[in-house]
Amino acid sequence: MTDTIVAATEQPHCVFDAKDFSSGAHPVWCPGCGDYGVLAALERALARQGRPPHEVVLVSGIGCSSRLPGYMSTYGFHGVHGRALPVATGLKLTRPDLEVIAVGGDGDGYSIGGNHFIHACRRNVDMLYLVMDNRVYGMTKGQPSPTTEADWDSDIAPGGIGLRPFNPLAVAIASGANYVARGFSGDPNGLADLIVDAIRWPGFAFIEVLSPCVTFRPEQREWKKMVRPSAISVEQDRAAATALVLADDGFSMGVLYRGDRASIAPALKPEITVADVEREFMVAV
Amino acid sequence: MTRASIAVVFAGSGGSGAMTAGAVFLRAAAHAGYYGMMTQLFGAQVRGGESASLVQVSIAPIETQPDCYDLFVALDWDKVEQFAAEIPLDDRSIILADPASGPVPPGIAKSKGRVVALAMNNPDENKLERALRGKRINMFAAGCVCALTGIAESDVKAAIDTIFDGKGADLIAANAAGAALGARAAPALPLDLRLEPPRKAARWLINGNQAVAFGALRGGVRFVGCYPITPATDLVEWLAPHLIKLGGRLVLGEDELASVNMTLGASYGGTPAMTVTSGPGFSLMIETLGLAVAAEIPFVLVDVMRAGPSTGIASKTEQSDINLAVYGGHGDAPRIVLAPVSVADCVNTGEYAVYVAESLQTPVIVLSDQALGQATTVIDPSAQRPAPLARRVNGVAPGKPFKRYATGGDPVTPMPLPGTPHLEWVAEGLTHNEAGLPASGAAMHVAQIDKRAKKFSQFDPGDHWGEVWGEGDVAIIAIGSTIGPAREAANRLAAGGQKVRVIALRVLSPLPLAALTRALDGVRRIIVVEQNHGAQLYHYLLGHKAIPLSAESVARPGPAPFRPSEIASHVA
Ligand SMILES: Cc1ncc(C[n+]2csc(CCOP(=O)(O)OP(=O)(O)O)c2C)c(N)n1
Ligand code: SF4
Ligand SMILES: [Mg+2]
Repeated sequence: MTDTIVAATEQPHCVFDAKDFSSGAHPVWCPGCGDYGVLAALERALARQGRPPHEVVLVSGIGCSSRLPGYMSTYGFHGVHGRALPVATGLKLTRPDLEVIAVGGDGDGYSIGGNHFIHACRRNVDMLYLVMDNRVYGMTKGQPSPTTEADWDSDIAPGGIGLRPFNPLAVAIASGANYVARGFSGDPNGLADLIVDAIRWPGFAFIEVLSPCVTFRPEQREWKKMVRPSAISVEQDRAAATALVLADDGFSMGVLYRGDRASIAPALKPEITVADVEREFMVAV
Repeated sequence: MTRASIAVVFAGSGGSGAMTAGAVFLRAAAHAGYYGMMTQLFGAQVRGGESASLVQVSIAPIETQPDCYDLFVALDWDKVEQFAAEIPLDDRSIILADPASGPVPPGIAKSKGRVVALAMNNPDENKLERALRGKRINMFAAGCVCALTGIAESDVKAAIDTIFDGKGADLIAANAAGAALGARAAPALPLDLRLEPPRKAARWLINGNQAVAFGALRGGVRFVGCYPITPATDLVEWLAPHLIKLGGRLVLGEDELASVNMTLGASYGGTPAMTVTSGPGFSLMIETLGLAVAAEIPFVLVDVMRAGPSTGIASKTEQSDINLAVYGGHGDAPRIVLAPVSVADCVNTGEYAVYVAESLQTPVIVLSDQALGQATTVIDPSAQRPAPLARRVNGVAPGKPFKRYATGGDPVTPMPLPGTPHLEWVAEGLTHNEAGLPASGAAMHVAQIDKRAKKFSQFDPGDHWGEVWGEGDVAIIAIGSTIGPAREAANRLAAGGQKVRVIALRVLSPLPLAALTRALDGVRRIIVVEQNHGAQLYHYLLGHKAIPLSAESVARPGPAPFRPSEIASHVA
């Protein structure tokens, strides 16, 4: 693998409206859930990106956030808990012509699927991974996730889980992701911009989206007051970018790292046929 | 007097080259027109320790381990005794050893086999010369055994050329010279091991793992997600370069959860896809197997069974994943389970598995086992191939919304490829409605379970269901590597006047009840032979009332292979 940037994704070739990307199905989400904002942002971003719905596949695991593919008019794959990234990887590697986007929650992506997260960053397959982080397992009704604050009280962990929260951005940068950003569901337009940028950036792009769970973490409604544009300029230096996201309070929005790692090489054109393989077994007499 | 077959062991310490000696003998025999089979034994050391290659050569196809080895060739005696229990020898066996290597160790000597001395080390050689000659003792031994059995030097040379291809002319010449020296030593030995002349034909030299992989390639598999695990690793290591050159992809996942889900992702995109594993990895894949059932995504899962539970014995065989393959997972999750009936059949079963998966949009498990997978065998080329079957991607009924999971009609509903305009659908593992949206009502749950079940009740494997050999009112039912010894046992019993038929199931699930019942017509006594402690196959057949309560079970764990005599003694 050489360390050069591969060709950028296709330029827009159609004109679409955000509603062209809506399936019309009614989300199961609670009123006020941050994931509505993410859905709106994705619809806008894909309309702006300009590829038709049938050329896009949304892949997800399990959780409130992972329900998203059903609400869009694109192709979709709603798999098992934690495995969205490998599904998306297998799909993108065999169908590079498709726009593959993996989505899910913090539990799905950082706990049960944490290992895949690291290795998807390493593999750097050209796709977008968008995590709706509400620092809780929403679907199972409010248990601490890897990004939950150490002292957040819950039935299952009275007084708090007592663990240092996981820093997905630092892990992504250190593991080799080529594009790392943070967005906010309360700013669908800003998030749509990030999504378009991330899709167009070659390699594995990761966007951590702060997406409040108003039901189990009502205090997250305050996030809209806490988020601010990142003071960090777009970093090309992995070590410096890692240090910056580790020092950050978690509310800096925008692109935090963009690299130029080459994505995984495309499959070769066939050089042999199955008949050639068969001849290898032959023993002449 | 000539013989129809011979079973030879080459054994020695790490670096003695016992494996290569066996490989040369087997390939030379194939060049000469014989059938053959080679299996291997390794010591505990991860790499480079003592080893033994077990080679049978015959004028007829070989599908079983022998009861006893005719010839044991000791390249040296260092730690070789540990293999004694796995290498049956008796007083008719010949032990060929260099007296300079020391006395025959007690574990081997207790067989009372006849010890024949053969100077393989040149006593005139100094230490440096010997070091330079390196493993040539193994070539000496291989050349000698080839000459003893009547295999021409030109066939030995052809084998050496292939086996050392790319290692340089000097090395090839030195090995050929070693084999020639061994051949020259043969006439002086007080032994007559000549084989009958074979029916010469060009054949394939292939092991069961390669054969499954090759069958899958023939069937169209162009994506493999995998994670290394013995004894399936060599399958994917063989597959990787071939798949790449065929324009496909092999991706090493971070674990089996990744590999099976990558496989599903590739399949969803329209590429026939496969994952390859053994017991521990298969256990990890079970949740996703259920997803493939529910979302109706085809893929092939090859399980090269090894001794379990847990990590068990990584390198040795057992048939103890039958329950996991047939039942593994939560919910009503029917799947197809196929088991190749021989090394040669691994090719066809591998290809057929892809066709069934694709055409039924369902997971297909290929249950192989280490004894099939790692048996290098000389077989007749596989010419008779299963008829191709393809995925149904077209033929969507008009109307909106598109009902990917439509019920009521043909249970195999069109599965448009992503990229097809206006037919967007979501592969859904939650209970879903016909359009693929999550639904939790009882009616839809039942309707979708019925839809998927109907795919199985309609599935007709035709002649692929299994194989029947022989006749008689006693039947042995077996799968996988147990079939070979069962057939050999039946042949021997038939020679003694007792007719026994052997019934092999290729399709384990859904159980081909009608075909099996026909195959059992006129049978008075049924014996189910399998290599696991819990009698998994026996209980499965009983549960389906495929066999009567009076059927007998011969079930014991691996890793020791069933030998024909063991099965014959149960039947007789
Ligand atoms: C193997 C498995 N274990 C547990 C669950 C139960 N479960 C469903 S969703 C979920 C957590 C989801 O959390 P997150 O990914 O953060 O999504 P959110 O609901 O917060 O959007 C869990 C534990 C499951 N479906 N599968
Ligand atoms: S539980 Fe939380 S995450 Fe789930 S839909 Fe409701 S608000 Fe959103
Ligand atoms: Mg969450």
